Amino acid sequence: MGVPFIAVRGLLHSDILKHRPDLLVNENPFNPGEPVVVAQPIRPDVAVFHAIKADRRGNAVTPGHRDDLMMARAARRVIVTAEEIVDGELTSRDAVDDTLLPAIDVDVVAHAPLGAHPCGFGSLYEHDDAHCREYMAAAQGGDSFRVYLERYVYGVGSHGEYLERVDAARQARG
Amino acid sequence: MAQTADYTPEELMAVVIAREVRDGETVGVGAVSPIPAAGCVLAEQLHAPHLTLIILDSEEYYPFPAGSSELHFLAQRGELDLFFLSGIQFDRRGNFNLHVIGDYNSPTVRMAGAYGSAMLYYMAHRVILFRAEHTRRIFVEQVDFVTGAGATPENVHREGGPALLVTPKAVLAWDRAAGEWVLDRVQPGSSLEDVRQNTGFELRVSPSVRMTSPPTAEELHTLRTVVKEKLARSYPDFVREKILPD
Repeated sequence: MGVPFIAVRGLLHSDILKHRPDLLVNENPFNPGEPVVVAQPIRPDVAVFHAIKADRRGNAVTPGHRDDLMMARAARRVIVTAEEIVDGELTSRDAVDDTLLPAIDVDVVAHAPLGAHPCGFGSLYEHDDAHCREYMAAAQGGDSFRVYLERYVYGVGSHGEYLERVDAARQARG
Repeated sequence: MAQTADYTPEELMAVVIAREVRDGETVGVGAVSPIPAAGCVLAEQLHAPHLTLIILDSEEYYPFPAGSSELHFLAQRGELDLFFLSGIQFDRRGNFNLHVIGDYNSPTVRMAGAYGSAMLYYMAHRVILFRAEHTRRIFVEQVDFVTGAGATPENVHREGGPALLVTPKAVLAWDRAAGEWVLDRVQPGSSLEDVRQNTGFELRVSPSVRMTSPPTAEELHTLRTVVKEKLARSYPDFVREKILPD
């Protein structure tokens, strides 16, 4: 939308306002005496989306009815990872029941099969319960999280290598 | 009193919620709210066939072309009749907490946050709060963090607000004039004393307080067949663990 601020309903007398400098209470200029919350725009430097498929120009299809387009437009730079890179050009006809991110709103596309792992991805694959549990245990604190990051993030050279380690852990679990 | 009910607390709550849903209403349910989702689908099956039901993250019950912003904008337009919210604390004045336990800057528990609830609590015509646990740690004199306020001054634009609070022990009704919850119904298996002992604030009792009528055979049968089947994809664990076999 590109507006300097937007009015939102509700939120008045909530403690949220005490902790959010981007939400202010102002008087409704069209209804003097009425307090209304105004919100500062959120402009992320980068937004990342995982797509079912993308083409070489940057058009991408993300699953379901979501607010991806709004988020892509809010961000200054948009990265799309995709299960599949297709030939030709994707249009809204390829996004029936899904969302089309048009190339004009996308800066970078990368091919990343199973890129949503360990989350599930639409109807393509379920979330990896065992790996999520492993992550949650590691994230409890102490040294375990550093070990997790070393094994799955810093210690791998590519997404393929990450998936190999996930697979090895799965086999070790039996 | 110690007799075992032949339904789960979640089934009871879903049935109580279903009875509150009116035919023809536009009703919204959040993404991780299987109890009201079950209640609404049950109402649709039994007495509210003309419901417009919106369940976030559901494919079947999602009448919009874009994401969850659609539900929020619908509510901001004043077109949402009924919505459901839960919380980690509730107090007598209708405030609910979805944020933190303890001090905001060093909490003992930090939740994911409000999402749209601090708007929906003001803009849905009726909000039914629900919680499957009724204890003093949840029903407190004063919430640690007001995510949404039960009562607000006259100049705050509000389409509605709290209507009921449903737990396995009680149904509290919102007294708008007094700005506080009153005990309206005691759930089967509980008692006035049990509710008082497990509520951490002074609970006014409605002069017309009564026992909830237990779920009927028809309500339970429909819940355990059609409703269970419709929710199985979105809430596999819930239907397996909380809804009994027919």
